Amino acid sequence: MTAPLSLDRLRGDVAEVLAEEPGSFADDDNLLDRGLDSIRLMSLATRWREAGSQAGYLELAQEPTIKAWWTLLAPEESK
Amino acid sequence: MSPTVESADVVVIGGGPGGSTVSTLLAKRGHRVVLLEKETFPRYQIGESLLPSTVHGIGRLLGVTEELEAAQFMVKRGGSFRWGSNPVPWNFLFAVAPELSGPTSYAYQVERLKFDEILLRNAARNGVDVRENAPVTEVVADDDRVRGVRYTDEDGGQREIRATFVVDASGNRSRVHQNVRGERIYSDFFKNIALFGYFEGGKRLPAPDTGNILCAAFDEGWIWYIPLSDTLTSVGAVISREHAAKLQGDQEQALLGFIDRCAIVKDFLAGATRVTEGTYGEIRTRKDYSYTNSTFHRPGMVLVGDAACFIDPVFSTGVHLATYSGLLAARSINSVLAGDVTEDRAFAEFEGRYRREYRVFYEFLSAFYDMQSDESSYFWRARKVTNFNTTDLEAFVSLVGGVHSGEQALTQARKSSGALADAVERTGDMQTESGERMHHLFGTPVVREVMQEMNNIQVRGIRGADAKELPLLDNGLVPGPDGLSWMDPSVTAAPVLEEAK
Repeated sequence: MTAPLSLDRLRGDVAEVLAEEPGSFADDDNLLDRGLDSIRLMSLATRWREAGSQAGYLELAQEPTIKAWWTLLAPEESK
Repeated sequence: MSPTVESADVVVIGGGPGGSTVSTLLAKRGHRVVLLEKETFPRYQIGESLLPSTVHGIGRLLGVTEELEAAQFMVKRGGSFRWGSNPVPWNFLFAVAPELSGPTSYAYQVERLKFDEILLRNAARNGVDVRENAPVTEVVADDDRVRGVRYTDEDGGQREIRATFVVDASGNRSRVHQNVRGERIYSDFFKNIALFGYFEGGKRLPAPDTGNILCAAFDEGWIWYIPLSDTLTSVGAVISREHAAKLQGDQEQALLGFIDRCAIVKDFLAGATRVTEGTYGEIRTRKDYSYTNSTFHRPGMVLVGDAACFIDPVFSTGVHLATYSGLLAARSINSVLAGDVTEDRAFAEFEGRYRREYRVFYEFLSAFYDMQSDESSYFWRARKVTNFNTTDLEAFVSLVGGVHSGEQALTQARKSSGALADAVERTGDMQTESGERMHHLFGTPVVREVMQEMNNIQVRGIRGADAKELPLLDNGLVPGPDGLSWMDPSVTAAPVLEEAK
């Protein structure tokens, strides 16, 4: 099974689908500028749904940054 | 004289997109597949507007992406609809927003004689034994299962092929489907017929919507307007079956009459001439009733595409449902032939997913027709959700695996319709700031459900083995790494050795 959701896991997953080095982008970078597209967004949404998130790709598309997604995926922990 | 008997793993009946898809994806796993097509390709077919999951999902699994690009089909970024209360067309685009228009946010409008041939020749290149001019005369079966088919070869000889599976991809007019022993059930609300022809020189929507399908409602039904090239347009009127008698007479006058009563299409065709020669010179009719078979499978036999079910053409779903069910059938057959999954379970997954796809489009269809409210029109009044008879609705909806009471179905249909109309209103006119953003439309429950599997297929096509899919059905199976068979998700938790690449 996959690792539980954590901020580090989000960063790692995003780096993987964008084929970038982890740490090469900031949490508040707009990921569309990093080559995020609908297909990559959908695969991220599926991964995180498997780990228990309720957010679909449309929600993720609203504000495509790690920071916004962490708030969306873990509203308690991100406070 | 007794027929020549051969054997194969699978016999596929029909060389349209459904048959080509299933046979190619079986041959890719090394199975011996014979495809029997009654005509000789290329041949004419209707159903010209595609959806992205066919182009980017199935197309990539089949390996025809470059060939489709080289064919230079008209690029479609969505549908434009003169439909509902807005007098200006609005867009249903494939990209959720302009900044997210990635590699999968378009489809094609295709001349089916070209598209279908690309898929069929690709099947042959992948090892499928394609035999054209080979009509099937009989399905061979015993009490336990279907065992093969008999067909007439191009020299008129009678031949028989014994196979572990027979796939019926022979379309809406063939009777082969009766061999699964089900019934074909028609929806009472969408018994439409289509009358269609081709025009040269019709107008185009402004860029970037030039390649979009335009669907325009009018009093007696609606008209499709599909740009197949810069100058050639496919135009069809979808009308009530009560017009059938009228169509026995002068079909050209009938078609021109419908066009004349549909303002936007009339304007678009003002300077155009109807094609009167060659393949596109004929005016054709087709019974476009929405139907589904009561069963899609029997041991040894499975139905795909129009042989199994058909839904009204307004969403361009014909080729999608055919290629999607072709993929599902290939996954199930590959799994059974490999000994990974029992036939019962593999085809429960097939039928469950296929019916789900049909059901969500049927709900979308009901909501969509309900939006075009026009109490003075017989055609639209008969297709309003509130005028649905709950008993008929129940019979049909329970068949496709939805809720089980007519009342529930009606409530749900009303809700879907309201949410959809609301989203269309918020989205607004095409080519405006809001009209380019699909968040409202994609956010409605019915559209969300419609997009789910199509998105999965696209992610699979683009990302290959990296695509992660969750079970779609309760206790259901998931596609394996190559996307061509099923796995039980509960037995895949074991760590997989990462081979050095």
